[in-house]
Amino acid sequence: MESRVLDGNAAGGLLLELFGVELTAAPCVCSGCGAREEIARLDVYVDCPGVVIRCRHCHNVMLTIVRGPERTWVDLRGTRGLEL
Amino acid sequence: MRTLGLEVDGWDSHRAGQHLDVRLTAEDGYQAQRSYSIASAPADPLEITVERLDDGEVSPYLVDDVGDGDAFEVRGPIGGYFVWDGDEPEPVLLVAGGSGVVPLMAMARHRARVGATAPMRLLYSSRTWDDVIYRDELESLGIEVVHTLTRGQPPGWTGYTRRIDDDLLREVAFPASDGPRVYVCGSTRFVDAAADGLVRLGYYPRSIRTERFGATG
Amino acid sequence: MPIISRGFRGRRQDGPPDRVPPGQYLTDDFPVLSAGPTPHTPLEEWTFTIEGGSEPVRWTWEEFRSLPSEEATVDIHCVTKWSKLDTAWEGVSVDTLLDAVEHDKDYALAFCDGGYTTNLPLEDLTGGRAWVAYAYDGEPLEPEHGGPARLLVPHLYFWKSAKWVRGLQLLDEDEPGFWEQNGYHIRGDPWLEQRYWGD
Repeated sequence: MESRVLDGNAAGGLLLELFGVELTAAPCVCSGCGAREEIARLDVYVDCPGVVIRCRHCHNVMLTIVRGPERTWVDLRGTRGLEL
Repeated sequence: MRTLGLEVDGWDSHRAGQHLDVRLTAEDGYQAQRSYSIASAPADPLEITVERLDDGEVSPYLVDDVGDGDAFEVRGPIGGYFVWDGDEPEPVLLVAGGSGVVPLMAMARHRARVGATAPMRLLYSSRTWDDVIYRDELESLGIEVVHTLTRGQPPGWTGYTRRIDDDLLREVAFPASDGPRVYVCGSTRFVDAAADGLVRLGYYPRSIRTERFGATG
Repeated sequence: MPIISRGFRGRRQDGPPDRVPPGQYLTDDFPVLSAGPTPHTPLEEWTFTIEGGSEPVRWTWEEFRSLPSEEATVDIHCVTKWSKLDTAWEGVSVDTLLDAVEHDKDYALAFCDGGYTTNLPLEDLTGGRAWVAYAYDGEPLEPEHGGPARLLVPHLYFWKSAKWVRGLQLLDEDEPGFWEQNGYHIRGDPWLEQRYWGD
């Protein structure tokens, strides 16, 4: 059972639920290398205890989302700006 | 494969290329969730097509067990990037790897429903002829369909028999100078290979929209 | 109240309660969980370093493999709810590694190729409860499972068993690593179901 690398489309439902807006087409800027890409074009890892979204160019972690039973943690430190 | 027709409370419409998330809850509260691309055109009743994976947790239930009247939770529609609305004038190249054809089928059906005139061409890679989904309907939608069958071919097959490579793309894809837009869907490996090949043909990277499927079941 | 899907069970197996912690299901597979691309460090470049003692102590791959090692058959429990019993590993006890270092610290932060980190009190890394493992099921550890070497701390949730481990930083205080900064419990004892902050 391989660990999969998907893309931001796979996180679309989660992001829609958390933020209330469609985000797969939202560009965001990587705080590691400055690359600006729509969330759909980022690497998404879902086979882990959360959802980890990385820059496709430098692999910097841009977003991390963990859903607990009552709370959700969202870490946006690796993103320098999200355009809606 | 099984196509399921869904009636969802409060469902608006959707755009061709979008998907929805299905969540199943067992009686003891155990939950499992998967994403499925919407196969139907926006104007038609909502349908998803599910591929049954033998060691899957959700797909065997949806393919084998679910019947009329059964219920599960649905979230969506989802997606604002991997969508085609039909009013875009550029030619459209669709590249499908296996079950990656599902969201592209929604686009092809949508084009037929709204009478869009942008040329549309589907390059569809499958293992064998029996694995080709929507086989007959594809011939009647008014789009060009090019199949490649990578593992086995029926007697008399004169089409492609190999995985997508640069030569195949060069023969099938629109010239880059036509300014086409591209939608590629399939496994990560398939999608990355096709997208890289198209870039080598001169396609502008941002004209290629991709959706990577993960086989989970 | 979620909609119950008639007849849906999923592929879970329950197991003996004295071996399967609360909320866990048994699996026969060995799922590969990863939050990033698999690193591939050549063995000639691989080192394991303990920092934070009186001076850093470092082993090359040859030096590491010449240390006394042991086999360990253990049960492992992932916070994503799967448990696997009787997994067979080979590795160097963390006690052996820490014995080479003069220090007065109580905590460690494991650091790895690819940037992953996880924190543990030294109490959880010693007393024969933790290894740096280089083989699984009689074979060299595969890269997707953390090879060439990973931390193995089976009495805690498996996110603490850091893949592609390259060393330990010894610290005075417990400093949260990657998942611990993102909602996961600072210690992660599966028998107390310490999955998230505040559990």
